[in-house]
Amino acid sequence: MAYEPPVTDYDEIVENCTCAFCGSNCDDVDILVKDNHVVGVRHACRLGASKIMEDEDQRLTVPMIRDENGELMEVDWDTALDRAAELIAGAVRPVFYGWSETSIEAMKPGLELTELVGAVIDNQATICHGPTVQAVQNVGYPLMTLGEVKNRADMVVYTGSNPMNAHPRHLARYTTFPKGFFRKRGRFDRTLVTWDPKYSDTAKLSDIWIPFEENGDYGFCNAIRAVLKGKELKQDFISGIPKEDIVALTEKMKNTQFGALFFGLGLTHTLSKQRNIDIAIQLVQDLNKYTKWVLLPMRGHFNVNGFNIFMAYEMGFPYGVDFCRGYPRYMIGETTTIDLLNRKECDVFMVIAADPGAHFPGGALAHLVDIPVIQIDIHWGPSTELADVVLPGTFIGVETAGTSYRMDSVPIYMKKAIDPPETCREDEWIVNELLQRVKKIKEASK
Amino acid sequence: MEYILKNGIVYDPINEINGEKKDVMFKDGKIVNSVSDSAKVIDVTDKLVMPAGIDVHCHLAGPKLCVGRLYRPEDERRGVKPKTDITRAETGFSIPNCPATGYRFSRMGYGTVVEAAVPPLEAKHTHEEIIAIPNIDIPPLTLFGNNWFIMQFAKEGRIDDIAAFVSAWLKITKGYGVKIVNPCGSEAWGWGMNVHGIDDPAPYWDVTAREVIRALAQANEMLGLPHSIHVHPNDLGHPGNFPTTINSIDCMKDIKKNSEYRNQTIHLTHAQFHCYDGTSWRDVTSGVEPVADYINKHDHVTADMGQVTLDETTTMTADGPMEYDLYELTGLKWANKDIELETASGLVPFIYSGRNPVHSLQWAIGLELALMIEDPWKICLTTDSPNAGPFIRYPRVMSWLMSYQRRAEMMDNKEVHAWAGRKSALGTLDREYDFYDIATITRAGPSKIYGFEDRGHLGAGAIADIAVYDLEPNNFDPTRNAAAVEKAFSNALYTIKDGQVLVKDGEIVKIVSSKHVRTEVEGFEDEEKRILEEIMPFFNRYYTIKFENYVVHDHYAEPSSVYKVNASK
Amino acid sequence: MTYIEKPSISNVVKFEDPDVAQVKKLTVMLNTGTDIYQGACKKRGSTLKDEYRKVAGVCYMDPKDMARLGVGNWESVLVKSDWGEVVVYAAHSRDAPHEGMIFIPKGPWANVVVSPETYCCSDPTYKGIKATVEKTDKEVLLMADLMRDVYKKYVKEGDKPEELPSLGEMPVYKKIRSG
Repeated sequence: MAYEPPVTDYDEIVENCTCAFCGSNCDDVDILVKDNHVVGVRHACRLGASKIMEDEDQRLTVPMIRDENGELMEVDWDTALDRAAELIAGAVRPVFYGWSETSIEAMKPGLELTELVGAVIDNQATICHGPTVQAVQNVGYPLMTLGEVKNRADMVVYTGSNPMNAHPRHLARYTTFPKGFFRKRGRFDRTLVTWDPKYSDTAKLSDIWIPFEENGDYGFCNAIRAVLKGKELKQDFISGIPKEDIVALTEKMKNTQFGALFFGLGLTHTLSKQRNIDIAIQLVQDLNKYTKWVLLPMRGHFNVNGFNIFMAYEMGFPYGVDFCRGYPRYMIGETTTIDLLNRKECDVFMVIAADPGAHFPGGALAHLVDIPVIQIDIHWGPSTELADVVLPGTFIGVETAGTSYRMDSVPIYMKKAIDPPETCREDEWIVNELLQRVKKIKEASK
Repeated sequence: MEYILKNGIVYDPINEINGEKKDVMFKDGKIVNSVSDSAKVIDVTDKLVMPAGIDVHCHLAGPKLCVGRLYRPEDERRGVKPKTDITRAETGFSIPNCPATGYRFSRMGYGTVVEAAVPPLEAKHTHEEIIAIPNIDIPPLTLFGNNWFIMQFAKEGRIDDIAAFVSAWLKITKGYGVKIVNPCGSEAWGWGMNVHGIDDPAPYWDVTAREVIRALAQANEMLGLPHSIHVHPNDLGHPGNFPTTINSIDCMKDIKKNSEYRNQTIHLTHAQFHCYDGTSWRDVTSGVEPVADYINKHDHVTADMGQVTLDETTTMTADGPMEYDLYELTGLKWANKDIELETASGLVPFIYSGRNPVHSLQWAIGLELALMIEDPWKICLTTDSPNAGPFIRYPRVMSWLMSYQRRAEMMDNKEVHAWAGRKSALGTLDREYDFYDIATITRAGPSKIYGFEDRGHLGAGAIADIAVYDLEPNNFDPTRNAAAVEKAFSNALYTIKDGQVLVKDGEIVKIVSSKHVRTEVEGFEDEEKRILEEIMPFFNRYYTIKFENYVVHDHYAEPSSVYKVNASK
Repeated sequence: MTYIEKPSISNVVKFEDPDVAQVKKLTVMLNTGTDIYQGACKKRGSTLKDEYRKVAGVCYMDPKDMARLGVGNWESVLVKSDWGEVVVYAAHSRDAPHEGMIFIPKGPWANVVVSPETYCCSDPTYKGIKATVEKTDKEVLLMADLMRDVYKKYVKEGDKPEELPSLGEMPVYKKIRSG
């Protein structure tokens, strides 16, 4: 990469901003501002910096609806909101999907709207850590805040996750490199282990790399559990890993002082789905008989965990909650977005702060072709290509303040650094407007 | 707006009103001595009238609850109720969703419920849930017992600095008082260990529970906080733990209280879990007698019951190692949540059953406590909800306390295991609570213990938090009608909060925002500033969050009810 | 401890490598997921741009597999699965060796070939999908063109999306004030 001189031409530095990218929610980001524009970012990783230094070409700046030719055309806010409200009020089986890249404050009117019209509300957990939540419901959830790992851990394991790509500062800020209270030498006091079929960028940094074979996660964890329980392994290779290596690794894990296991979508997206997580959680529970072990799912979006927490305290269930009967129902595989789309059940789809166009399988997206789609987002993305009403929001953590929950459930108030573009509106405002307009339509039709 | 509650039978122990037929008047949300002729009359002739209930110890808002809800959909599916024109949908039994929490307390005639454990790092979460809970005021207690700064200062004997730290951290977390959970033990859990007894030091920090409890109590009294330290001692739930319990209280009897309203300097919470004799679950027996005896003879301590209600529930506590023990015992799904520099915590579902000998003994021990501690001002009704049972069982516990006949019946017809009678003295205790006693352990006593001068009684100037129940004390015998007692206390005829009728005939008729009840110390600002400057380098190095983003911002705590404390007093 | 040695990655595999037998079509296991280039480009918002096509419309392959197919870096390949087919660039994987496995970063291109099947578990199957890879002359489409081509939501009846002019790399919509 070419050398770029440091940015010196700015009006002010807004310190301790929270990065609105991944679940690491780094809250030490300094944003350099000039004329109400972000001109530079300090401390953020490549991902965070790229998001904060957004592509203004593709910023959604005005409300739009499709004309009769199927082309998007700019309209005023009233027209766009009324159109969206009519669609929602007239829907039989609406699904409100997304929420993981907006604030808790915006979710509140969103849930109210969901309850009012009897919709399904769901977030990105449904396509990422949904199986993790199910596994947690099966066997338990021994976790910690990230500072515990920073201060105490002498062994850190990543599996089914490549933080150097997806959570680039995770190792540097929380787990591996930082000098902790009981780990004064930082990286030198810790053993970094990666279990991954691929020689990933994280594996490249690790002290130990265990390349179990594809779909070998369950067998591998199970083998460690067997060794822990004093059983003898009967095969020479398990999931492609020599028996002796499994025994040696088990010993090492038993003899740490504080171990932390982090897992990602590598476990949730393979065929055994939640069973992979079941066994990983049980492994950590077993290890606690010998020494201290904890685990944490590597949550992707900065507020994906926040939505699950928000829904749990408001309505008792974490995601995929269906209100069509006037009370919340949560049935994995029934009331979850992909299943609803696969079954072609929903008739209006609202997406807020998410991009199903980029992240849903084509088989599920096919149904969005047949039904109206309302999009609330900040950038023109693949979902815009399928959207019938587009409502431009503002950028949480840069243009609008709000609450988010880090992957370890630490709540953070994300402050703003600049004012939003004049023509955009805060998510909270947009959703609340929709709520009020739908209320009005419902009352008029009583 | 003026109101007059007419002709009720009033129980108001703080004002020594014991079942008098009288009117209760209130205006603009406050109790008054007189109202004009235009006051709206609510006729409650011969009905039972009390101040609204105050729960001294409940887990109802915060990160632990959320882990519970997240990982126990099976609990959420119990107690589902559809939305109505007024209320939102309810879910959950032991860990209800926030709206249900507010409605259910409100239906029982409660007005104030203390959230018993708030880790400072996640205090925002607790306040977010308080915002989502309607109809009750919630004072949160902030966790200090395993805080690294406190442990370090306690070791060095820096009481002034602990006071400054506590004062600052109550503001930072928007908390009400000082909670201590398994002091030093939850820190030891950071390494998968625990401490036993009050003189077993925490690893590395080399400081004992005795030192931490004493130091925090001294700081608490130096500041003159409205509540005393609120202690969950070491060795919770271990057979043979009652000496630890007594030692935890006794180690600080020389500390002078600095509060005119309350009497105690230490509140022992969920005492039931701390009164076991024996050496194992095989030979465990009740250890209530020595503890009750100690409390009867000393005035610096109050306690609450932690009554087991024999339900399937969810245990949750900042006592991380205890939860792991429980997991090993039951094999049910274990959740854990350690908080950097501050505390640990854990959860395990639990199925209390009257067929189980140990659970039945626990049931007996809780009741023994309430019956053997002579002065009802020293004991409060709790179930450590949801640990020993969900809060919706309070009325049932009341019915047990009010009826010897019912307790004997349960032991006789095997609703509880024989251990309840064999290993405790419950069968020999024929004391029965009357309505005045019930009002004391659920209203007046809690008010005193927490320094809530403005609630828990019906004197002029108090906030108009009033409960009316569909019982006529003058022609009703609670000792013979346990089921009717439970039903009446479960469904208030009226619940009035700040002068507004929220419940009528057991149904929610109005929703209001809950207030965040908190303490602010005045006159200690310089000390706070000095201590913050001193610890800031350490804070920045070892926390994973910036101090600026750690503080609970004002907008998380609206509306608030702030108790100002003048530290120079 | 005796763990499998970390591999040294060869950046260049010669087509005439004697170990490599030429094939027309490879049967592989397809994995999808995030990588840092895709993530950065997506969240910056540059999804219409050529850049996004280069980071998400790409199939990272083991160099030996590429040699077998006879494709070089940034040449087009056609990936087919039970769920669809899509043209993407081939590129050497940084994580090689992983013969028989290909990786397409998550995005509109990968979506076409992954499975929507959740097995009643809410989460579709994004990893471990059976697929084939073959060489093709077709161009990798830009995001907007791909979405139009695959989903045809706003394509008029009778129009063939592949014959329509490209939607380009900038948002296209009718402005009120454009005059």
